[in-house]
Amino acid sequence: MIGQLIIEGLAIGACYGLFGVAVAIIYKTSEVVNFGQGEMGMISTFIAYHILIQYQFPFWLAFIITMIFAILLGMFIEFFLLRPAKDPTVLGLIIITLGAEMMLMSLVGWKWGAEQKDFAFPLSVRDTHEILPGLKLNEWTMGVFILTALIMVLLYLFFRYSNLGVAMRATQQNQNAAKIMGIKVERVFSFTWAMSSVIGAVAAMFFAARSVLDPTYMMEPFMRAFAAAVLGGLTSIPGVVLGGISLGLIENFFGYAWPHWKPIVAFVVIILVLTLKPSGLFAKHYVKKV
Amino acid sequence: MKGFEIRGYVILALAALFLLPLTAPAATPGVDKNEIRIAQWGPQTGPAAPWGSVARGSDILFQLVNEEGGIHGRKIRYFVRDDQYNPAMTVSVVKELVERRGVFAFVGGVSGAGGMAVKDYLAQNKVIWVSPATALNEYVFPVNPYLFGMYPLYDDEASVLTKYIVETLKAKKIGFFYQNDQYGKDGLTGTKKRLASYNNMSLVEEIPVEPGEKDLSSQMLRFKNSGAEVVIMWVNPTTATIALKTSATIGFSPQWVSSNTLSDYALMNAITGGLWEGVITGAFALPPDSDNPLMVRYREAAKRLSPEERWGTFYLAGIAFAEPLVEALKMVGPNLTTEACLDALNSITDFQGIGPKITWRADQHQGTDSIQIQKCGPGGTAILLQDWTSNDLATWK
Repeated sequence: MIGQLIIEGLAIGACYGLFGVAVAIIYKTSEVVNFGQGEMGMISTFIAYHILIQYQFPFWLAFIITMIFAILLGMFIEFFLLRPAKDPTVLGLIIITLGAEMMLMSLVGWKWGAEQKDFAFPLSVRDTHEILPGLKLNEWTMGVFILTALIMVLLYLFFRYSNLGVAMRATQQNQNAAKIMGIKVERVFSFTWAMSSVIGAVAAMFFAARSVLDPTYMMEPFMRAFAAAVLGGLTSIPGVVLGGISLGLIENFFGYAWPHWKPIVAFVVIILVLTLKPSGLFAKHYVKKV
Repeated sequence: MKGFEIRGYVILALAALFLLPLTAPAATPGVDKNEIRIAQWGPQTGPAAPWGSVARGSDILFQLVNEEGGIHGRKIRYFVRDDQYNPAMTVSVVKELVERRGVFAFVGGVSGAGGMAVKDYLAQNKVIWVSPATALNEYVFPVNPYLFGMYPLYDDEASVLTKYIVETLKAKKIGFFYQNDQYGKDGLTGTKKRLASYNNMSLVEEIPVEPGEKDLSSQMLRFKNSGAEVVIMWVNPTTATIALKTSATIGFSPQWVSSNTLSDYALMNAITGGLWEGVITGAFALPPDSDNPLMVRYREAAKRLSPEERWGTFYLAGIAFAEPLVEALKMVGPNLTTEACLDALNSITDFQGIGPKITWRADQHQGTDSIQIQKCGPGGTAILLQDWTSNDLATWK
């Protein structure tokens, strides 16, 4: 039983972590918490659903089209909603993301209705493999583990070795200095939003496969993923994933022992962490001098 | 002097003319010689929109009544308002309907919170409200003279289902998974009362869940570890779906039993990817594909009048909720007033349409404690396991 609890905790935790990475990427470059992240993933998943149901395309093709949509969506929101903001403050930009969230939710409700739908994901939660006696691993879980690890490695290589990744890090540290060094900060922001949107869309598809597809289905996972990101440290991508995994494990073990308290345990832990280590468990604590 | 007298008579006559309309009996709001205005609120947009089909379903019955010439020469004019499942909106739309449209009666009305927000307002304005589409003890206890409930109370339903589980399924180990609110707790109460009647039998596990929770692994593992043969769940469709998917993941396959709120098998079977097959639920109306003559008539009417609508449980529930009001209006006769309609509703005895038998008395406005027990068959079809059964342990009757 403990082994199965660990697997389930790791699986949902990795999914929180993956979605938390999407939140953290935007935060890393602009210090903006994107409250529309869940709904960006949600609308992308609805696009995939629509392609699968309406046009009967194979999943891989629907996936590619959805990823293109997610890229365009991220760039669209950054270009048309955030960039025109005059003398933007971080708080002002966060409020804009809240507006985007409501807009996307209404749009999906109007187009596809509020009735729950089943998202036909190729990695089923029902197809299980007994890896040890009494210990089951399903295809969905394997997919989450592999994908999270893959995205972590790719992001590490990207931020470490690519010019664009270095430009993103530079923009996060000091926008003005980055501009002086010739970095086109606006383009960096556009790319960041596109990248975040793609990772968020992939995670949202995993959540839909485990739950149901409706216009509100990403609200709760967003809150958990955001909490995981805060727990791990919003500026550290490995920290966010580790935060997600920690959250998944804490919730599952605590939820097994005291089911009545499961919904709040994660947030109690986060309050404790923020009180003792405000930058999160795995991020370095920077103090800006003014 | 005579001039003063004449002027005095004229003033008195004028005063009498002004006073006449005040002393004459006031016309009943929402009724004239041509129409009866009836209304319903319900979420047509927003997250609870799937339940909005209840309000649209009632329209089928009213259209059928109108096609047959109305009730004693009056056609029904029906208003539906979207409250988006938001109690503040419910108040707003109900006030508009009462004060601007002057409706005679309300029927149905999804959302307990929305209903509670307007319950007293409707009673103060003497507007009749028949068959709220939610089971709340506060609606019917103590008796509200203008409110008539027919939705089976959740504790009655859970009690009947538990009796079936123990006596027919012969299950010894029962778990209960419930939404952590009044809906879930009422179900839990009904099951516990019933189990207590079997030599103090008790649940092997009872676990609450918050409505938005998306990870139910630890809860399902706990049920699995308890050895539960049957798990009763009193939750919403999304939570039920996640519970079934998670259980499949960990290799846990008990007999699932649930309340009538999850009896839309076509929907539940679709969103669970077929896992709903075999689930047993309570039901407050006949199965959608029933060959009952009344059901056949409604089904055909829906096909003809609203071909775009899915003939599902909640859609036909809208018809079931409106049937007793139509019956009462027929009983009243041509002289329709609020008081006459209240008298007719209070005298309804064993009335049955496509729902359970309804009986209302002046001192008892909960119309039934009966449910059917149905099972989801292949492709989301409904299989009738047990016909209308009332709760022999109900203490309110």
